[in-house]
Amino acid sequence: MEIPVIRDILEESNARARENRELFDRHGVFVVNMMSSPGSGKTSILMKTIPLLRQQGVSCAVIEGDITTSIDSQRLQPLGIPVVQANTEPFGGDCHVGSHLVQGALKYLDLHAIKLLFIENIGNLVCPAEFYLGEDCKVVVLSLTEGEDKPLKYPLMFRECRLCLLSKIDLSPYLDIKIGELQSNIYSVNGKMEIIPLSAKSGDGISIWVDWLLSQMNRKT
Amino acid sequence: MRLTVWGNWVMHEMYLTECIIDSVKKSLPKKISPDAVTEVQVQVGELDAVIPETLIFLFDAIKGSHGLPKAKLTVDQVPVRCRCQSCGNEFRVDSPLFICPSCQSGSVELLSGRGMILTRIIADEE
Repeated sequence: MEIPVIRDILEESNARARENRELFDRHGVFVVNMMSSPGSGKTSILMKTIPLLRQQGVSCAVIEGDITTSIDSQRLQPLGIPVVQANTEPFGGDCHVGSHLVQGALKYLDLHAIKLLFIENIGNLVCPAEFYLGEDCKVVVLSLTEGEDKPLKYPLMFRECRLCLLSKIDLSPYLDIKIGELQSNIYSVNGKMEIIPLSAKSGDGISIWVDWLLSQMNRKT
Repeated sequence: MRLTVWGNWVMHEMYLTECIIDSVKKSLPKKISPDAVTEVQVQVGELDAVIPETLIFLFDAIKGSHGLPKAKLTVDQVPVRCRCQSCGNEFRVDSPLFICPSCQSGSVELLSGRGMILTRIIADEE
C-alpha cells in the first residue's frame, strides 16, 4: 500500500531551532551564526569585536562549535565572557553545529545577562549552511587567502548569509587575489549580500562590523 | 574560569539519514509496522549539499538496525528555480549564478531547489 506523505525531513531540527529562537526573543538576545572555512579568522575577529561591543554596553557570549578540542574557547577566555564549548565529536568527527547542540549549550548560559550571542560554527563551507539554529542572522567569513572562486563553489553558504566579512585584508599586498572578481562572484550568488572587508590583525574594518551588529540589534528591539 | 565543555556525537550525512528514518516512522499509520516498509522516496533540492548516492549508501547501512530492513530509498533532486524581483521572470538555475537572464538583476528569490522532503512510503499490506 502507498502512504501519501509530505513531511520536512528536518522537521525535528527546525522545531528545536524555533524553540531556541523563542528563547532568544523572550530574553531579547540577538544571535549571530558565524560560518566559514577552517582558519578564516572567526575567533580572531571575535577577539577584536567583543571588547568594542563591551565599550558600547553590549554583553556578549559565545557558543564555540568545534569537532574537537577547546582551543578556541581558551583563546576567548581573556575576554572574560561566558563561553560554551560545544564539541560534536571528541575524537575527530563531524561537521556542523545543530539546533540540538545549541539547545544543549544554552543550559550553560544565563540569557538574562546576554544581549548578543555568537555561535561560532565549525569551520566548513558546506554542511553548516544547511541548518537553521534559531539565529537572527547568518554571517560568512571569507579570507582573502581562500581565492576568488569560493562563493561559486559553495553557493548555498553564500545564498544563506546576509553578510560576508572579507577577512585578512592586511595580506592583500602579498597575494595575487583579485578582490573585484571575488566581490563579483559573491554578488553572482547573492545579489543582496552585504560585504565588509576587515582585518583582525590590523583592526581595519572591525568598527564597521561592530556598527553593523549594533544596527541589526536595534532593528530587533 | 567560565569555560564549559559540552559534547555530542553527530555526523552530517548520517544525521540526515536518521532524520529520513525518523520521518518515515512518524508518518506510518499505527497499523503499519516499520519492518513492512518496502520503499521510501525523498526529494532533495539541488542547492542542498547532499549527494543522493551518499544518502542511499548510508540508508542501506543503517536501515536494518533502525527497524526498516526491507526499505529501499530513492532520492529525487529538485531543480533550482528562481523569480527575478525586478522583472518577474522565472528561470532555472543550473550553475551558481543567481542572476536574471532577462534583466541581469541579482535580486532573485528562490522558488525551489532547497530543502528535503519525504514524499512517498510504500509498505506491504499486513
